[in-house]
Amino acid sequence: MAQSVILHTEELHRHFGGVLATNAVNIEFKENRLKSIIGPNGAGKTTLINVITGRLPASSGAILFQGRNITDQPAHRLTRLGICRTFQITSIFMGLTVFENVRISKQMKRGGSFRVFSKKSSLKKVNAETWEILERLDLKDKAHVPSSNLAHGDQRLLEVAMALASEPKILFLDEPTAGMSPAETEHIAQLIKSLTEKISVALVEHDMDVVMSISDEISVLHQGTIIAEGPPEAIQSNQKVKEAYLGGA
Amino acid sequence: MVEEMNGAPMNKTGGFIIRLLALVVVAACLALFPFVITNRFYISLVNEMMIYGLLAMSLDVLLGYTGLLSFMHNAYLGIGAYIVGIFLIHVSPSSMWLALLVGVVGTTLIAVPVGWVQVRTGGLAFALLTLAFGMMFFTVVWKWYDLTGGDDGLMGVPHPDVQLGGWVLGNSGDPTVIYLMTLAILLICLVVTWRIIHSPFGSVLEAIRENEERASFVGINVRKYKLLGWVFACMLASISGGLYILYRGYIGPTTMHAFAGAAVLMMVLLGGMGTLWGPIVGAGIFILMQDYISTMTEHWELFVGLIVILLVLFLPRGFVGLGDLSRFKTGLFRFRKE
Repeated sequence: MAQSVILHTEELHRHFGGVLATNAVNIEFKENRLKSIIGPNGAGKTTLINVITGRLPASSGAILFQGRNITDQPAHRLTRLGICRTFQITSIFMGLTVFENVRISKQMKRGGSFRVFSKKSSLKKVNAETWEILERLDLKDKAHVPSSNLAHGDQRLLEVAMALASEPKILFLDEPTAGMSPAETEHIAQLIKSLTEKISVALVEHDMDVVMSISDEISVLHQGTIIAEGPPEAIQSNQKVKEAYLGGA
Repeated sequence: MVEEMNGAPMNKTGGFIIRLLALVVVAACLALFPFVITNRFYISLVNEMMIYGLLAMSLDVLLGYTGLLSFMHNAYLGIGAYIVGIFLIHVSPSSMWLALLVGVVGTTLIAVPVGWVQVRTGGLAFALLTLAFGMMFFTVVWKWYDLTGGDDGLMGVPHPDVQLGGWVLGNSGDPTVIYLMTLAILLICLVVTWRIIHSPFGSVLEAIRENEERASFVGINVRKYKLLGWVFACMLASISGGLYILYRGYIGPTTMHAFAGAAVLMMVLLGGMGTLWGPIVGAGIFILMQDYISTMTEHWELFVGLIVILLVLFLPRGFVGLGDLSRFKTGLFRFRKE
Protein backbone atom coordinates (compact mmCIF):
# COMPACT_ATOMS: atom_id res chain seq x y z
CA MET A 1 0.00 0.00 0.00
CA ALA A 2 2.85 2.32 -0.82
CA GLN A 3 1.18 3.86 -3.84
CA SER A 4 -0.07 7.38 -3.41
CA VAL A 5 -3.65 8.31 -4.15
CA ILE A 6 -4.08 10.17 -7.45
CA LEU A 7 -7.80 10.85 -7.26
CA HIS A 8 -10.37 10.49 -4.53
CA THR A 9 -13.88 11.63 -3.70
CA GLU A 10 -15.29 12.93 -0.43
CA GLU A 11 -18.93 12.24 0.41
CA LEU A 12 -19.88 12.50 -3.27
CA HIS A 13 -23.62 12.71 -3.95
CA ARG A 14 -25.62 12.86 -7.13
CA HIS A 15 -29.37 12.64 -7.22
CA PHE A 16 -31.88 12.64 -10.06
CA GLY A 17 -35.06 14.07 -8.58
CA GLY A 18 -35.60 11.93 -5.51
CA VAL A 19 -33.32 9.10 -6.63
CA LEU A 20 -29.86 9.02 -5.08
CA ALA A 21 -27.73 7.53 -7.84
CA THR A 22 -24.50 8.31 -6.02
CA ASN A 23 -24.83 8.26 -2.26
CA ALA A 24 -21.99 9.48 -0.03
CA VAL A 25 -19.29 7.81 -2.09
CA ASN A 26 -15.72 7.91 -0.81
CA ILE A 27 -13.52 6.17 -3.34
CA GLU A 28 -9.78 6.28 -3.89
CA PHE A 29 -7.77 5.60 -7.04
CA LYS A 30 -4.10 4.88 -6.55
CA GLU A 31 -1.24 5.47 -8.96
CA ASN A 32 -0.43 2.60 -11.33
CA ARG A 33 -3.31 0.55 -10.03
CA LEU A 34 -6.30 -0.92 -11.82
CA LYS A 35 -9.45 -0.47 -9.81
CA SER A 36 -12.68 -1.99 -11.03
CA ILE A 37 -16.07 -0.70 -10.07
CA ILE A 38 -18.70 -3.42 -10.18
CA GLY A 39 -22.25 -3.79 -9.03
CA PRO A 40 -25.65 -4.96 -10.24
CA ASN A 41 -27.53 -3.05 -12.94
CA GLY A 42 -28.65 0.35 -11.75
CA ALA A 43 -26.07 0.44 -8.96
CA GLY A 44 -24.86 3.86 -10.14
CA LYS A 45 -21.52 2.88 -11.66
CA THR A 46 -21.85 4.97 -14.80
CA THR A 47 -23.28 7.90 -12.84
CA LEU A 48 -20.26 7.82 -10.54
CA ILE A 49 -17.90 7.93 -13.50
CA ASN A 50 -19.98 10.65 -15.17
CA VAL A 51 -19.74 12.85 -12.09
CA ILE A 52 -16.01 12.28 -11.59
CA THR A 53 -15.15 12.97 -15.25
CA GLY A 54 -17.29 16.10 -15.46
CA ARG A 55 -20.11 14.80 -17.64
CA LEU A 56 -22.59 15.46 -14.84
CA PRO A 57 -22.32 18.02 -12.04
CA ALA A 58 -22.17 16.66 -8.51
CA SER A 59 -25.10 17.39 -6.19
CA SER A 60 -22.76 17.66 -3.22
CA GLY A 61 -19.39 16.45 -2.04
CA ALA A 62 -15.97 16.89 -3.57
CA ILE A 63 -13.60 15.30 -6.07
CA LEU A 64 -9.87 15.78 -5.50
CA PHE A 65 -7.21 15.10 -8.11
CA GLN A 66 -3.61 15.15 -6.88
CA GLY A 67 -4.81 17.07 -3.86
CA ARG A 68 -6.60 19.70 -5.90
CA ASN A 69 -10.36 20.20 -5.83
CA ILE A 70 -11.72 19.57 -9.34
CA THR A 71 -15.43 19.26 -8.53
CA ASP A 72 -17.64 20.58 -11.36
CA GLN A 73 -14.76 21.50 -13.65
CA PRO A 74 -15.76 21.30 -17.34
CA ALA A 75 -14.83 18.11 -19.19
CA HIS A 76 -12.28 19.73 -21.50
CA ARG A 77 -10.31 21.07 -18.56
CA LEU A 78 -10.33 17.69 -16.79
CA THR A 79 -9.06 16.09 -19.99
CA ARG A 80 -6.19 18.58 -20.06
CA LEU A 81 -5.38 17.72 -16.44
CA GLY A 82 -5.15 14.06 -17.38
CA ILE A 83 -8.56 12.67 -16.41
CA CYS A 84 -9.83 10.89 -19.51
CA ARG A 85 -12.54 8.40 -20.30
CA THR A 86 -14.36 6.21 -22.77
CA PHE A 87 -18.13 5.80 -22.92
CA GLN A 88 -20.45 2.88 -22.42
CA ILE A 89 -21.99 3.66 -25.82
CA THR A 90 -19.15 4.16 -28.29
CA SER A 91 -18.46 7.84 -28.76
CA ILE A 92 -16.10 8.62 -31.63
CA PHE A 93 -16.04 11.06 -34.56
CA MET A 94 -17.94 8.84 -37.01
CA GLY A 95 -17.43 11.01 -40.08
CA LEU A 96 -13.65 11.24 -39.66
CA THR A 97 -10.96 8.69 -40.43
CA VAL A 98 -9.39 6.54 -37.72
CA PHE A 99 -6.20 8.57 -38.03
CA GLU A 100 -8.03 11.90 -37.70
CA ASN A 101 -9.95 10.67 -34.64
CA VAL A 102 -6.70 10.04 -32.79
CA ARG A 103 -4.86 12.97 -34.37
CA ILE A 104 -7.37 15.57 -33.15
CA SER A 105 -7.11 14.16 -29.66
CA LYS A 106 -3.33 14.39 -29.85
CA GLN A 107 -3.51 17.90 -31.28
CA MET A 108 -5.54 19.07 -28.30
CA LYS A 109 -2.84 17.65 -26.02
CA ARG A 110 0.15 19.03 -27.93
CA GLY A 111 -1.31 22.38 -29.01
CA GLY A 112 -1.34 24.06 -32.41
CA SER A 113 -5.11 24.44 -32.72
CA PHE A 114 -4.76 28.13 -33.40
CA ARG A 115 -2.60 27.66 -36.46
CA VAL A 116 -5.24 28.83 -38.86
CA PHE A 117 -3.20 29.01 -42.06
CA SER A 118 -1.11 25.83 -41.96
CA LYS A 119 -2.26 22.40 -43.06
CA LYS A 120 -3.47 20.09 -40.35
CA SER A 121 -0.89 17.55 -41.52
CA SER A 122 1.87 20.06 -40.71
CA LEU A 123 1.94 19.26 -36.97
CA LYS A 124 4.82 16.77 -37.25
CA LYS A 125 5.02 15.75 -33.63
CA VAL A 126 1.26 15.23 -33.42
CA ASN A 127 1.36 13.00 -36.52
CA ALA A 128 4.27 10.94 -35.27
CA GLU A 129 2.69 10.34 -31.88
CA THR A 130 -0.64 9.49 -33.53
CA TRP A 131 1.07 6.77 -35.59
CA GLU A 132 2.70 5.44 -32.43
CA ILE A 133 -0.67 4.98 -30.74
CA LEU A 134 -2.26 3.41 -33.82
CA GLU A 135 0.69 1.02 -34.05
CA ARG A 136 0.37 0.08 -30.40
CA LEU A 137 -3.35 -0.68 -30.67
CA ASP A 138 -3.09 -2.50 -34.02
CA LEU A 139 -5.15 0.11 -35.81
CA LYS A 140 -2.37 1.26 -38.14
CA ASP A 141 -3.65 -0.64 -41.18
CA LYS A 142 -7.05 0.99 -40.80
CA ALA A 143 -5.70 4.51 -40.32
CA HIS A 144 -7.41 6.00 -43.39
CA VAL A 145 -10.69 4.11 -43.05
CA PRO A 146 -13.68 6.25 -42.03
CA SER A 147 -14.30 5.25 -38.43
CA SER A 148 -17.98 4.62 -39.18
CA ASN A 149 -16.84 1.68 -41.37
CA LEU A 150 -14.96 -0.04 -38.56
CA ALA A 151 -16.26 -3.18 -36.90
CA HIS A 152 -17.75 -2.66 -33.45
CA GLY A 153 -14.73 -4.07 -31.63
CA ASP A 154 -12.36 -1.80 -33.53
CA GLN A 155 -14.54 1.22 -32.77
CA ARG A 156 -14.28 0.42 -29.04
CA LEU A 157 -10.53 0.10 -29.47
CA LEU A 158 -10.38 3.40 -31.35
CA GLU A 159 -12.08 5.13 -28.44
CA VAL A 160 -9.39 3.80 -26.13
CA ALA A 161 -6.78 5.04 -28.61
CA MET A 162 -8.35 8.51 -28.54
CA ALA A 163 -8.31 8.55 -24.75
CA LEU A 164 -4.66 7.43 -24.70
CA ALA A 165 -3.76 10.19 -27.15
CA SER A 166 -4.80 12.68 -24.48
CA GLU A 167 -2.06 11.18 -22.28
CA PRO A 168 -4.24 10.49 -19.25
CA LYS A 169 -2.89 10.18 -15.74
CA ILE A 170 -6.05 8.30 -14.85
CA LEU A 171 -8.26 6.63 -17.42
CA PHE A 172 -11.90 5.73 -16.80
CA LEU A 173 -13.19 2.91 -19.00
CA ASP A 174 -16.95 2.35 -19.05
CA GLU A 175 -17.56 -1.24 -20.15
CA PRO A 176 -14.83 -1.36 -22.79
CA THR A 177 -15.54 -4.99 -23.68
CA ALA A 178 -19.29 -4.53 -24.26
CA GLY A 179 -20.30 -6.34 -27.45
CA MET A 180 -16.80 -7.67 -28.14
CA SER A 181 -15.92 -11.19 -29.19
CA PRO A 182 -14.02 -13.39 -26.68
CA ALA A 183 -10.78 -12.90 -28.65
CA GLU A 184 -11.23 -9.13 -28.74
CA THR A 185 -12.10 -9.13 -25.03
CA GLU A 186 -8.89 -11.00 -24.24
CA HIS A 187 -6.87 -8.55 -26.35
CA ILE A 188 -8.34 -5.43 -24.74
CA ALA A 189 -8.07 -6.92 -21.23
CA GLN A 190 -4.34 -7.43 -21.72
CA LEU A 191 -4.04 -3.95 -23.12
CA ILE A 192 -5.86 -2.44 -20.12
CA LYS A 193 -3.66 -4.34 -17.71
CA SER A 194 -0.52 -3.12 -19.49
CA LEU A 195 -1.64 0.49 -19.14
CA THR A 196 -1.09 0.38 -15.38
CA GLU A 197 2.66 0.40 -15.95
CA LYS A 198 2.30 4.10 -16.57
CA ILE A 199 -1.12 5.29 -15.43
CA SER A 200 -4.06 4.55 -13.17
CA VAL A 201 -7.07 2.82 -14.62
CA ALA A 202 -10.65 2.77 -13.35
CA LEU A 203 -12.74 0.10 -14.98
CA VAL A 204 -16.49 -0.43 -15.02
CA GLU A 205 -17.07 -3.92 -16.34
CA HIS A 206 -19.72 -6.63 -16.41
CA ASP A 207 -17.44 -9.45 -17.55
CA MET A 208 -16.45 -10.95 -14.19
CA ASP A 209 -13.68 -13.08 -15.69
CA VAL A 210 -12.00 -9.91 -16.92
CA VAL A 211 -12.58 -8.07 -13.67
CA MET A 212 -11.26 -10.86 -11.45
CA SER A 213 -8.21 -11.56 -13.59
CA ILE A 214 -6.86 -8.05 -14.15
CA SER A 215 -8.03 -5.89 -11.22
CA ASP A 216 -5.73 -4.87 -8.39
CA GLU A 217 -8.68 -3.74 -6.32
CA ILE A 218 -12.43 -3.82 -6.67
CA SER A 219 -15.11 -1.52 -5.32
CA VAL A 220 -18.63 -2.86 -5.23
CA LEU A 221 -21.42 -0.39 -5.69
CA HIS A 222 -25.00 -1.12 -4.68
CA GLN A 223 -27.83 1.42 -4.76
CA GLY A 224 -25.34 4.26 -5.09
CA THR A 225 -23.23 3.25 -2.10
CA ILE A 226 -19.97 1.35 -1.84
CA ILE A 227 -20.74 -1.86 0.06
CA ALA A 228 -17.38 -3.58 -0.24
CA GLU A 229 -13.81 -2.88 -1.27
CA GLY A 230 -10.74 -5.04 -1.57
CA PRO A 231 -8.66 -7.34 -3.74
CA PRO A 232 -10.52 -9.75 -6.10
CA GLU A 233 -10.21 -12.79 -3.79
CA ALA A 234 -11.77 -10.94 -0.87
CA ILE A 235 -14.63 -9.63 -3.03
CA GLN A 236 -15.41 -13.08 -4.41
CA SER A 237 -16.01 -14.45 -0.94
CA ASN A 238 -17.77 -11.37 0.46
CA GLN A 239 -21.25 -12.19 1.75
CA LYS A 240 -22.71 -8.69 1.23
CA VAL A 241 -21.62 -8.74 -2.41
CA LYS A 242 -23.26 -12.08 -3.02
CA GLU A 243 -26.50 -10.81 -1.54
CA ALA A 244 -26.46 -7.64 -3.66
CA TYR A 245 -25.98 -9.65 -6.84
CA LEU A 246 -28.66 -12.16 -5.95
CA GLY A 247 -31.16 -9.39 -5.30
CA GLY A 248 -31.36 -9.97 -1.58
CA ALA A 249 -31.23 -7.05 0.79
CA MET B 1 5.03 9.11 -49.26
CA VAL B 2 6.00 11.85 -46.85
CA GLU B 3 2.49 13.20 -47.19
CA GLU B 4 1.11 9.77 -46.43
CA MET B 5 3.27 9.42 -43.35
CA ASN B 6 1.97 12.73 -42.12
CA GLY B 7 -1.52 11.41 -42.20
CA ALA B 8 -2.87 12.83 -45.43
CA PRO B 9 -4.57 10.36 -47.79
CA MET B 10 -2.26 9.41 -50.60
CA ASN B 11 -4.15 10.78 -53.60
CA LYS B 12 -4.43 14.23 -52.10
CA THR B 13 -1.68 15.95 -54.10
CA GLY B 14 -3.22 14.94 -57.43
CA GLY B 15 -6.65 16.12 -56.32
CA PHE B 16 -5.17 19.40 -55.18
CA ILE B 17 -3.67 20.22 -58.58
CA ILE B 18 -6.92 19.40 -60.39
CA ARG B 19 -8.86 21.52 -57.90
CA LEU B 20 -6.47 24.44 -58.28
CA LEU B 21 -6.64 24.18 -62.05
CA ALA B 22 -10.45 24.13 -61.97
CA LEU B 23 -10.45 27.20 -59.72
CA VAL B 24 -8.11 29.09 -62.08
CA VAL B 25 -10.20 28.21 -65.16
CA VAL B 26 -13.49 29.19 -63.50
CA ALA B 27 -11.96 32.41 -62.16
CA ALA B 28 -10.58 33.28 -65.61
CA CYS B 29 -13.96 32.66 -67.25
CA LEU B 30 -15.70 34.81 -64.64
CA ALA B 31 -13.09 37.56 -65.06
CA LEU B 32 -13.61 37.62 -68.86
CA PHE B 33 -17.40 37.45 -68.60
CA PRO B 34 -18.13 41.23 -68.39
CA PHE B 35 -15.94 41.86 -71.44
CA VAL B 36 -17.70 39.23 -73.54
CA ILE B 37 -21.26 39.81 -72.36
CA THR B 38 -21.39 43.58 -72.04
CA ASN B 39 -25.07 43.71 -71.12
CA ARG B 40 -25.25 45.48 -67.75
CA PHE B 41 -28.14 43.32 -66.65
CA TYR B 42 -26.22 40.06 -66.95
CA ILE B 43 -23.12 41.52 -65.34
CA SER B 44 -25.21 42.57 -62.34
CA LEU B 45 -26.90 39.18 -62.23
CA VAL B 46 -23.61 37.32 -61.98
CA ASN B 47 -22.37 39.91 -59.50
CA GLU B 48 -25.34 39.16 -57.27
CA MET B 49 -24.64 35.43 -57.57
CA MET B 50 -21.09 36.01 -56.36
CA ILE B 51 -22.19 38.17 -53.42
CA TYR B 52 -24.74 35.60 -52.30
CA GLY B 53 -22.17 32.92 -53.08
CA LEU B 54 -19.87 34.49 -50.52
CA LEU B 55 -22.73 34.62 -48.00
CA ALA B 56 -23.68 30.99 -48.66
CA MET B 57 -20.04 29.96 -48.32
CA SER B 58 -19.83 31.71 -44.96
CA LEU B 59 -22.96 29.85 -43.81
CA ASP B 60 -21.27 26.63 -44.92
CA VAL B 61 -18.47 27.29 -42.42
CA LEU B 62 -21.15 27.04 -39.74
CA LEU B 63 -23.42 24.39 -41.21
CA GLY B 64 -21.01 22.15 -43.08
CA TYR B 65 -17.94 22.40 -40.86
CA THR B 66 -19.04 23.30 -37.33
CA GLY B 67 -22.45 21.65 -37.45
CA LEU B 68 -24.36 24.78 -36.43
CA LEU B 69 -27.58 25.77 -38.14
CA SER B 70 -28.23 29.48 -38.65
CA PHE B 71 -31.65 30.33 -40.04
CA MET B 72 -30.78 33.97 -40.60
CA HIS B 73 -27.24 34.33 -41.75
CA ASN B 74 -28.48 37.07 -44.08
CA ALA B 75 -28.82 39.25 -40.97
CA TYR B 76 -25.04 39.62 -40.96
CA LEU B 77 -24.94 40.49 -44.63
CA GLY B 78 -27.53 43.13 -43.78
CA ILE B 79 -25.69 44.47 -40.74
CA GLY B 80 -22.46 44.70 -42.72
CA ALA B 81 -24.23 46.43 -45.61
CA TYR B 82 -26.01 48.96 -43.38
CA ILE B 83 -22.82 49.82 -41.50
CA VAL B 84 -20.86 50.34 -44.73
CA GLY B 85 -23.73 52.34 -46.26
CA ILE B 86 -24.21 54.56 -43.20
CA PHE B 87 -20.44 55.12 -43.01
CA LEU B 88 -20.32 56.19 -46.67
CA ILE B 89 -23.30 58.53 -46.25
CA HIS B 90 -22.46 60.15 -42.92
CA VAL B 91 -18.71 59.80 -42.38
CA SER B 92 -16.66 59.56 -45.52
CA PRO B 93 -18.17 59.11 -48.99
CA SER B 94 -14.87 58.28 -50.69
CA SER B 95 -13.03 55.88 -48.35
CA MET B 96 -14.19 52.54 -49.70
CA TRP B 97 -11.65 50.24 -48.06
CA LEU B 98 -12.05 51.99 -44.72
CA ALA B 99 -15.83 51.64 -45.03
CA LEU B 100 -15.51 47.89 -45.72
CA LEU B 101 -13.18 47.54 -42.75
CA VAL B 102 -15.59 49.42 -40.49
CA GLY B 103 -18.34 47.10 -41.77
CA VAL B 104 -16.40 43.98 -40.81
CA VAL B 105 -15.30 45.34 -37.42
CA GLY B 106 -18.79 46.66 -36.62
CA THR B 107 -20.47 43.37 -37.55
CA THR B 108 -17.91 41.46 -35.48
CA LEU B 109 -18.65 43.65 -32.46
CA ILE B 110 -22.32 42.70 -32.80
CA ALA B 111 -21.67 39.03 -33.62
CA VAL B 112 -19.47 38.42 -30.56
CA PRO B 113 -22.09 39.03 -27.82
CA VAL B 114 -24.83 37.36 -29.90
CA GLY B 115 -22.57 34.36 -30.44
CA TRP B 116 -21.63 34.32 -26.77
CA VAL B 117 -25.28 33.74 -25.91
CA GLN B 118 -25.94 31.31 -28.77
CA VAL B 119 -23.02 28.93 -28.15
CA ARG B 120 -24.41 28.13 -24.72
CA THR B 121 -26.83 25.95 -26.67
CA GLY B 122 -26.58 23.55 -29.57
CA GLY B 123 -28.76 21.92 -32.21
CA LEU B 124 -32.29 23.18 -32.52
CA ALA B 125 -31.99 25.68 -29.65
CA PHE B 126 -29.02 27.29 -31.37
CA ALA B 127 -30.98 27.52 -34.64
CA LEU B 128 -33.96 29.09 -32.89
CA LEU B 129 -31.73 31.66 -31.22
CA THR B 130 -30.30 32.67 -34.61
CA LEU B 131 -33.88 33.21 -35.74
CA ALA B 132 -34.76 35.25 -32.65
CA PHE B 133 -31.70 37.48 -32.89
CA GLY B 134 -32.11 37.79 -36.65
CA MET B 135 -35.69 38.97 -36.40
CA MET B 136 -34.67 41.43 -33.67
CA PHE B 137 -32.09 42.93 -36.01
CA PHE B 138 -34.66 43.01 -38.79
CA THR B 139 -37.11 44.92 -36.58
CA VAL B 140 -34.46 47.43 -35.50
CA VAL B 141 -33.52 48.13 -39.11
CA TRP B 142 -37.15 48.27 -40.18
CA LYS B 143 -38.24 50.72 -37.49
CA TRP B 144 -35.22 52.97 -36.96
CA TYR B 145 -36.12 55.50 -39.67
CA ASP B 146 -33.55 58.15 -38.75
CA LEU B 147 -30.61 55.83 -39.15
CA THR B 148 -31.65 53.15 -41.63
CA GLY B 149 -34.48 54.77 -43.60
CA GLY B 150 -36.91 52.21 -42.14
CA ASP B 151 -39.03 50.36 -44.68
CA ASP B 152 -37.90 52.74 -47.44
CA GLY B 153 -34.44 51.30 -47.05
CA LEU B 154 -31.09 53.03 -47.00
CA MET B 155 -31.01 55.26 -50.07
CA GLY B 156 -28.48 57.53 -51.70
CA VAL B 157 -25.40 55.59 -50.73
CA PRO B 158 -22.51 57.24 -52.60
CA HIS B 159 -20.34 55.23 -54.96
CA PRO B 160 -16.70 55.70 -53.96
CA ASP B 161 -13.79 55.13 -56.32
CA VAL B 162 -12.00 51.80 -56.07
CA GLN B 163 -8.41 52.68 -55.20
CA LEU B 164 -5.53 50.31 -54.78
CA GLY B 165 -2.09 51.54 -53.74
CA GLY B 166 -2.73 55.07 -55.02
CA TRP B 167 -4.21 53.88 -58.34
CA VAL B 168 -7.83 54.56 -59.14
CA LEU B 169 -9.16 51.41 -60.75
CA GLY B 170 -12.57 52.86 -61.49
CA ASN B 171 -15.79 53.81 -59.77
CA SER B 172 -17.75 51.27 -57.75
CA GLY B 173 -20.88 52.50 -59.51
CA ASP B 174 -19.57 51.01 -62.75
CA PRO B 175 -21.02 47.47 -63.01
CA THR B 176 -17.83 46.03 -64.51
CA VAL B 177 -15.59 47.58 -61.85
CA ILE B 178 -17.67 46.38 -58.91
CA TYR B 179 -18.07 43.01 -60.64
CA LEU B 180 -14.32 42.48 -60.90
CA MET B 181 -13.80 43.68 -57.34
CA THR B 182 -16.45 41.27 -56.06
CA LEU B 183 -14.84 38.43 -57.99
CA ALA B 184 -11.41 39.23 -56.55
CA ILE B 185 -12.68 39.43 -52.98
CA LEU B 186 -14.75 36.25 -53.38
CA LEU B 187 -11.67 34.38 -54.59
CA ILE B 188 -9.53 35.70 -51.74
CA CYS B 189 -12.21 34.75 -49.21
CA LEU B 190 -12.59 31.28 -50.74
CA VAL B 191 -8.85 30.55 -50.65
CA VAL B 192 -8.42 31.96 -47.12
CA THR B 193 -11.46 30.03 -45.83
CA TRP B 194 -10.22 26.88 -47.55
CA ARG B 195 -6.91 27.20 -45.75
CA ILE B 196 -8.56 27.85 -42.40
CA ILE B 197 -10.97 24.92 -42.76
CA HIS B 198 -8.10 22.53 -43.54
CA SER B 199 -5.88 23.84 -40.75
CA PRO B 200 -5.53 22.38 -37.24
CA PHE B 201 -8.11 24.98 -36.23
CA GLY B 202 -10.55 23.73 -38.88
CA SER B 203 -10.13 20.16 -37.70
CA VAL B 204 -11.29 21.24 -34.24
CA LEU B 205 -14.48 22.63 -35.81
CA GLU B 206 -15.02 19.35 -37.66
CA ALA B 207 -14.64 17.37 -34.45
CA ILE B 208 -17.37 19.53 -32.88
CA ARG B 209 -19.60 18.91 -35.90
CA GLU B 210 -19.08 15.15 -35.64
CA ASN B 211 -19.64 14.73 -31.91
CA GLU B 212 -19.86 17.62 -29.50
CA GLU B 213 -19.62 15.51 -26.37
CA ARG B 214 -16.62 13.52 -27.53
CA ALA B 215 -15.02 16.80 -28.61
CA SER B 216 -15.14 18.13 -25.07
CA PHE B 217 -13.71 14.83 -23.79
CA VAL B 218 -10.66 15.06 -26.04
CA GLY B 219 -10.01 18.45 -24.48
CA ILE B 220 -11.82 20.85 -26.80
CA ASN B 221 -13.44 23.89 -25.20
CA VAL B 222 -16.53 23.48 -27.35
CA ARG B 223 -18.12 26.84 -26.57
CA LYS B 224 -14.94 28.75 -27.32
CA TYR B 225 -14.40 27.12 -30.70
CA LYS B 226 -18.06 27.38 -31.64
CA LEU B 227 -17.88 31.10 -30.87
CA LEU B 228 -14.74 31.47 -33.00
CA GLY B 229 -16.40 29.61 -35.89
CA TRP B 230 -19.50 31.77 -35.52
CA VAL B 231 -17.57 35.05 -35.49
CA PHE B 232 -15.51 33.99 -38.50
CA ALA B 233 -18.69 33.13 -40.43
CA CYS B 234 -20.25 36.49 -39.51
CA MET B 235 -17.12 38.36 -40.61
CA LEU B 236 -17.29 36.69 -44.01
CA ALA B 237 -21.00 37.49 -44.22
CA SER B 238 -20.31 41.14 -43.45
CA ILE B 239 -17.83 41.29 -46.35
CA SER B 240 -20.62 40.08 -48.65
CA GLY B 241 -22.76 42.84 -47.11
CA GLY B 242 -20.16 45.50 -47.93
CA LEU B 243 -20.03 44.29 -51.53
CA TYR B 244 -23.82 44.23 -51.66
CA ILE B 245 -24.20 47.90 -50.73
CA LEU B 246 -21.37 48.98 -53.04
CA TYR B 247 -22.96 47.13 -55.94
CA ARG B 248 -26.54 48.23 -55.34
CA GLY B 249 -26.12 51.60 -53.65
CA TYR B 250 -29.25 50.65 -51.73
CA ILE B 251 -30.44 48.13 -49.15
CA GLY B 252 -33.93 47.51 -47.78
CA PRO B 253 -34.95 45.73 -44.59
CA THR B 254 -36.44 42.74 -46.45
CA THR B 255 -32.88 41.65 -47.24
CA MET B 256 -32.66 40.89 -43.51
CA HIS B 257 -35.97 39.06 -43.22
CA ALA B 258 -36.25 35.38 -42.28
CA PHE B 259 -37.53 34.61 -45.82
CA ALA B 260 -34.24 35.78 -47.24
CA GLY B 261 -32.47 33.72 -44.58
CA ALA B 262 -34.27 30.59 -45.74
CA ALA B 263 -33.12 31.35 -49.29
CA VAL B 264 -29.47 31.39 -48.16
CA LEU B 265 -30.00 28.06 -46.43
CA MET B 266 -31.44 26.64 -49.66
CA MET B 267 -28.41 27.87 -51.58
CA VAL B 268 -26.13 25.93 -49.25
CA LEU B 269 -28.25 22.77 -49.45
CA LEU B 270 -28.69 23.05 -53.23
CA GLY B 271 -24.96 23.40 -53.77
CA GLY B 272 -23.88 20.84 -51.21
CA MET B 273 -22.72 21.70 -47.73
CA GLY B 274 -19.32 20.95 -46.34
CA THR B 275 -17.47 21.82 -49.55
CA LEU B 276 -17.25 25.66 -49.54
CA TRP B 277 -17.45 25.85 -53.34
CA GLY B 278 -20.73 23.92 -53.49
CA PRO B 279 -22.76 26.66 -51.76
CA ILE B 280 -21.26 29.26 -54.14
CA VAL B 281 -22.56 27.19 -57.07
CA GLY B 282 -25.82 26.73 -55.15
CA ALA B 283 -26.22 30.51 -54.85
CA GLY B 284 -25.66 30.80 -58.60
CA ILE B 285 -28.28 28.17 -59.37
CA PHE B 286 -30.79 29.65 -56.94
CA ILE B 287 -30.49 33.20 -58.25
CA LEU B 288 -30.57 32.02 -61.86
CA MET B 289 -33.72 29.99 -61.17
CA GLN B 290 -35.33 32.86 -59.34
CA ASP B 291 -34.49 35.27 -62.16
CA TYR B 292 -35.48 32.98 -65.01
CA ILE B 293 -38.75 31.70 -63.55
CA SER B 294 -39.84 35.14 -62.36
CA THR B 295 -39.78 36.38 -65.98
CA MET B 296 -42.45 33.77 -66.78
CA THR B 297 -44.71 33.86 -63.75
CA GLU B 298 -45.13 36.06 -60.73
CA HIS B 299 -45.65 32.94 -58.62
CA TRP B 300 -42.00 32.03 -59.07
CA GLU B 301 -41.58 30.96 -55.42
CA LEU B 302 -43.93 28.06 -56.10
CA PHE B 303 -41.71 26.68 -58.82
CA VAL B 304 -38.47 27.37 -57.01
CA GLY B 305 -39.95 25.44 -54.09
CA LEU B 306 -40.85 22.53 -56.37
CA ILE B 307 -37.37 22.40 -57.86
CA VAL B 308 -35.83 22.50 -54.40
CA ILE B 309 -38.02 19.58 -53.30
CA LEU B 310 -36.96 17.55 -56.35
CA LEU B 311 -33.31 18.34 -55.80
CA VAL B 312 -33.46 17.42 -52.12
CA LEU B 313 -35.14 14.11 -53.00
CA PHE B 314 -32.82 13.12 -55.83
CA LEU B 315 -29.61 14.95 -54.96
CA PRO B 316 -29.55 14.89 -51.16
CA ARG B 317 -25.93 16.00 -51.12
CA GLY B 318 -26.73 18.90 -53.42
CA PHE B 319 -25.07 19.85 -56.68
CA VAL B 320 -21.71 18.42 -55.57
CA GLY B 321 -23.44 15.04 -55.32
CA LEU B 322 -24.09 14.92 -59.09
CA GLY B 323 -21.15 12.51 -59.30
CA ASP B 324 -22.98 10.12 -56.97
CA LEU B 325 -25.70 9.62 -59.55
CA SER B 326 -23.30 8.20 -62.11
CA ARG B 327 -21.56 6.11 -59.46
CA PHE B 328 -24.94 4.81 -58.40
CA LYS B 329 -25.71 3.70 -61.96
CA THR B 330 -22.41 1.92 -62.53
CA GLY B 331 -22.88 0.29 -59.15
CA LEU B 332 -26.23 -1.10 -60.26
CA PHE B 333 -24.72 -2.26 -63.51
CA ARG B 334 -21.93 -4.12 -61.76
CA PHE B 335 -24.40 -5.71 -59.43
CA ARG B 336 -26.35 -7.11 -62.38
CA LYS B 337 -23.26 -8.49 -64.06
CA GLU B 338 -22.45 -10.46 -60.95
